[in-house]
Amino acid sequence: MADNAADVAEDYRQALEDLTVNSRIEIATLTNIARENASHGFAIAEALANHIKKVPPARTLPALYVLDSVVKNVPTPYALYFGPKLYSIFMGAYTKVDNSTRRKMDEMLKTWKEPVPGSISTKPVFPLEQVRPIEHALMAARNAAYAAQQTSYQGQQQLMRGRQAAPPRDTPTPPTGRGYPPPGQQHQQQQQQQQPSYSGSNGQQRQDASQKQYQNHPASGPNAIPHRATPQPTPPIGSYPPYQQPGAGPVYGTPKSGGISIDKLKDDIQQLIVAEKAEFASDPLDTSKQTRLKALLDLQTIIHNQEMPQEQLMIIRDRVAELAVNIRPQSRPQVPATAAGPAAGSAGLTGLGLVGPYNTNANTATPPPAVSQQSTPMPPSAAAVIAAALGRPSSVSSAPPATGGVAPAPASTPGVSIDSLFGQGALAALVSGAARKSVTPQQTPTPQPLPFSQAPAAAPAPAPTPAPPVLGPAAAAAIAAALRSPPQQQGPAGPPRPASAAPAAPPSNPSALLAMLRQSGLINSGGSTPTPSSALAGLAGLPSLAGVVSGNPQLGAASLKTFRPHAVFRLYDDLGPPCSQCGRRFRTDDEGRRKKTAHMDWHFRVHQRMNDAEKRGQHRSWYVDELDWIRTREAIDTDYTHPAPDLSSASLSYDSSSYNSSSHHQHHHNPSGSQPGTFNHFQPSAPGASSSSTSTGGPSNIPYLPVPEDSAARVNGACPICQEKFEMKWLDEAQEWVWMDAVRVGGRVFHASCYREAYGAGSQPQQQQGVKRKAEEDVGGFRGKIKTEGY
Amino acid sequence: MSIPGLGQIAPQQPTTSTTNTITLRPFWEWRFRVPRSSPTGVGATVRLTSGTAERDGTELALNHTYVFPRNTQSRLLTYTGGTLEVSGDYDDSSVAQYGTPGHSPQLSVLNLHFALQDLRAAVGKSNNNNNLNQGGSSDGAVPGPRVMICGGKDRGKTSLARTLAAMATRMGGQPLVASVDPREGMLALPGTISAAVFGTVMDVEDPAGGFGVSGTPSSGPSAVPVKLPMVYYVGRERVDEDVGLWRDLVGKLGSSVRAKFAADELVREAGLIVDTPAASVAKAEVEGLIHVVNEFAINIVVVLGSPALYTELQRRLGTEKTPHGETIALLDLVKSDGVAARDKDHMKFNREAAIKEYFFGDAKRTLSPFTQSVGFDEVAIFKAPDDSDYVDDQTTLEQAEISAEMSHWTLAVMNASINDPPETIRQAPVMGFVAIADVDENRRRLKILSPVSGRLGNRPLVWGRWPEPYINLLG
Repeated sequence: MADNAADVAEDYRQALEDLTVNSRIEIATLTNIARENASHGFAIAEALANHIKKVPPARTLPALYVLDSVVKNVPTPYALYFGPKLYSIFMGAYTKVDNSTRRKMDEMLKTWKEPVPGSISTKPVFPLEQVRPIEHALMAARNAAYAAQQTSYQGQQQLMRGRQAAPPRDTPTPPTGRGYPPPGQQHQQQQQQQQPSYSGSNGQQRQDASQKQYQNHPASGPNAIPHRATPQPTPPIGSYPPYQQPGAGPVYGTPKSGGISIDKLKDDIQQLIVAEKAEFASDPLDTSKQTRLKALLDLQTIIHNQEMPQEQLMIIRDRVAELAVNIRPQSRPQVPATAAGPAAGSAGLTGLGLVGPYNTNANTATPPPAVSQQSTPMPPSAAAVIAAALGRPSSVSSAPPATGGVAPAPASTPGVSIDSLFGQGALAALVSGAARKSVTPQQTPTPQPLPFSQAPAAAPAPAPTPAPPVLGPAAAAAIAAALRSPPQQQGPAGPPRPASAAPAAPPSNPSALLAMLRQSGLINSGGSTPTPSSALAGLAGLPSLAGVVSGNPQLGAASLKTFRPHAVFRLYDDLGPPCSQCGRRFRTDDEGRRKKTAHMDWHFRVHQRMNDAEKRGQHRSWYVDELDWIRTREAIDTDYTHPAPDLSSASLSYDSSSYNSSSHHQHHHNPSGSQPGTFNHFQPSAPGASSSSTSTGGPSNIPYLPVPEDSAARVNGACPICQEKFEMKWLDEAQEWVWMDAVRVGGRVFHASCYREAYGAGSQPQQQQGVKRKAEEDVGGFRGKIKTEGY
Repeated sequence: MSIPGLGQIAPQQPTTSTTNTITLRPFWEWRFRVPRSSPTGVGATVRLTSGTAERDGTELALNHTYVFPRNTQSRLLTYTGGTLEVSGDYDDSSVAQYGTPGHSPQLSVLNLHFALQDLRAAVGKSNNNNNLNQGGSSDGAVPGPRVMICGGKDRGKTSLARTLAAMATRMGGQPLVASVDPREGMLALPGTISAAVFGTVMDVEDPAGGFGVSGTPSSGPSAVPVKLPMVYYVGRERVDEDVGLWRDLVGKLGSSVRAKFAADELVREAGLIVDTPAASVAKAEVEGLIHVVNEFAINIVVVLGSPALYTELQRRLGTEKTPHGETIALLDLVKSDGVAARDKDHMKFNREAAIKEYFFGDAKRTLSPFTQSVGFDEVAIFKAPDDSDYVDDQTTLEQAEISAEMSHWTLAVMNASINDPPETIRQAPVMGFVAIADVDENRRRLKILSPVSGRLGNRPLVWGRWPEPYINLLG
């Protein structure tokens, strides 16, 4: 029975590890598994709790949602199992995740105090006495943080001494490994900047940063409540969107509480506090502000800790709104005073104005001043076509001012104005051409600009490419042909760069397109008739053209400024189609195909190993020394000569056999390099330098294994020969938990000594390739097995 | 009870994430900036829905969602036209339109690339002949083009270096890229100079466009192929703070590069691209550039948007020849009007992000550094003598008193032994970096954050003055 439970737990654990995103389906499945195995509930609860503890921050939320779902759907027995551990699970997770996840966790926590929605039971999900400690802790932490902020300035003077412009580190970053200090921290930094001794350069950034941050705060406007449009934050792209439990949404999340939104109220208060704090920081001696801040904090505590009737909430909300009104007028006059100094709520308000112009840009992708059509959401080509079709010469002629005057190419023939060009034959031809294809421009408002159809569009507005890409080159060519239907007049076209005459071509010939391109000045004038080529030939790469445009560029000013269409072709189509994952191009010949296969394999392998590696934990490798660097060849999508060994043989050791086995391609990836452990021991022990730190002797001669991550071995935890459990020990040298005297042979872990006795010492080296760890010297001697590719 | 970072949950903007479609015609570019404090914390999301686009020479895959993290300041350019779908946080975005390709400064870059490509092909041909004739021995062979990019501040030097490298990589080459500007650091933390072969796609999403420290090897797989740099530690922001060391290290890097050329014919064929510190016509700075030209046997000097410097260099290099007997070609390129000045805060954010990424990884790859506690006597920390007591020219490094002053600094771990003479340590290649998390003077213990587990006992640590301490690295 015990075994069985262990198996179930193990399966469950593995299932959990596959849960990487917030998927409602997966969470529901995991909930069902938990329900069906309620008899092993304890083991499952253990597994889940452990998983939440260990999982990387990015995946914590889905795991918590599993807990939430399990507890709500199968309260018996899971609520009982999780209850006592709830505090440690929740707080453990809380400390490691980022702020947006924390917000979701806050919401989830709230639902735990209430009955399960739709259930007959009136009991809350978890008993209040289990939820409260968490809330208290969160509150206490928040308050402590504020208190620290308020008092920090007093003590900083002393702390700073001896650190030279280094402000004290009293705002630790959560160890998420995720990069950047949370905005809140920047805010705090800003307050620290009050200190006279704080260096200026730091402060400016902080201020800048928090101005941006503050713009979200107290909503300016007559309605003074700092509104948040949605209490539930819009999930950032790439993170886990919330899941509405009662609904049928694809993701999982906790339901919101109804009635007057406590969330929103809390947020409002929170925002007020922040604003107030900023003000306080700007003038720490003002006791009235201090009092107000205190009151706000108290209020927040109360709201967090107690269930309040709706009426009271209403009162609070009104009061908060009032406060919000008060704060802002007060802060405004301070703007000039505090502008240069560290921030304040007021600075935030000005920030609103300052940052404004940036934001407006976001919505206007293409704001060309001269060309009115281009600023429409419609692709320019379509717009141009429509404009042309409507016969509005003004809009057409407004298009090319940027290019008209400064055409570098010598005008060999007198240019014809666009008006005349379009007003006469071309426009009519265009329209008729479009009609012939029964595709009126209006019906194709969004041509996807393929490189091909886009190419003509590159020309100033008159470039008429109404053809959606689906029509393919022939259609475009036809249209192009239609454009130049009075064939004789086609030559001296294009105001930007008058081109020489191109011979007429049959309408189905892509060269027609080319001719049109020339006409519009995109392509330099060329005398010969280009031969039909690939679909993309229109833009570039017609072989005959290559010769025309003075061959390859030389290292001279003039040569570098000459446009050679085939250059673009050489960078794109000539290189073959791109890899769909990273954009690297591969030719379609045999060698290209081979490379592409290797490349796709590489993608596949990396993808596979990413998951494993994440579970195990990775770290930055040391750089190499000169010799290794010089010898290391860049390995591009190198395949392994061996299949990567079973992950379970991941070991810390550089057994000589494994070293040899990989040495013949040590300049490429080495197969055991796929084990994250391989680099663990690229130890900084200089050859020949034997200091006290490495000569501890003893344990380094005993084989050991890092405590396996894979559970089959872990769960048993005993040597199959002697049935004794492995001794887990922190090995200082390895900086890791290890099983001493352990070897892994074919997926099973034995005591090294037992194994030797049972099978003889001779079999050992072969069978435990890459497992046994030799003495430290081996490590010191090992160099250069650094991968050059992120395998 | 204090939970790190708790209690400062910033109010979240009611973001209605709108998706904008940006249509670019050939040679147009979309310039954008992701703010440092992005409300959603995600950054800007970009998807190429049709056509092609590239960031600094590296192509974007079609219909692949790219996320540009905070403080990214870059542009997406297209040579063939393309449509982008962008959402998330970005500001300062604009579309640079050029009526004809001739008006885009990028045309010169494109042509320069193909000119270099011709030179590479020529080397490739002669290599093959050599191999046939001499059975592969090619020690004396002339490598492909060695390009130095120089110019004033904020001219787009690094972007140009990246673009040229990426294009060469796209065509199947394996160019060497070296950066001798300690201000930023390439594939390493600021304060270093480095070189690496770029034979694989660069990371488009990296704020540094593939030159960031996140592109270096870790113990696990990486979705974007990593690059292996050779790194030397200057430990200064500007070259003039320690010209002697910088010149020595440039020399070391130069000889590493020569050795690499000799050992790897693919790299030799593709040549070298060197990014340099911002330089004016001041004598010291020109001398620095001349030094780079000599050490790397530069045969093409690209001066970006700095006509005065171009004239000065022409005067100095006009009659010079490379060790291989080539004349040195000088090119005067115009600066792209899209190059934005990067303010101090921008740079500082980047430096701190680099340090964080070095230890903790980025959004795609979470790394777990190791924290260890060591006694003062178990580590050897060196530093350059203070300027004030700079008496003896011979003293290049001295053992530093460990004190609380060291907290939050990032130290370089040298690939040398503590018993080596100071001069050797000073010029040794960098193995990595550690951060001093805490100094307990009473108990005489240090808390050190190190990327790799294991003791540091035998490795000298060097305490420079750049990058400056990063206070909030650790909780």
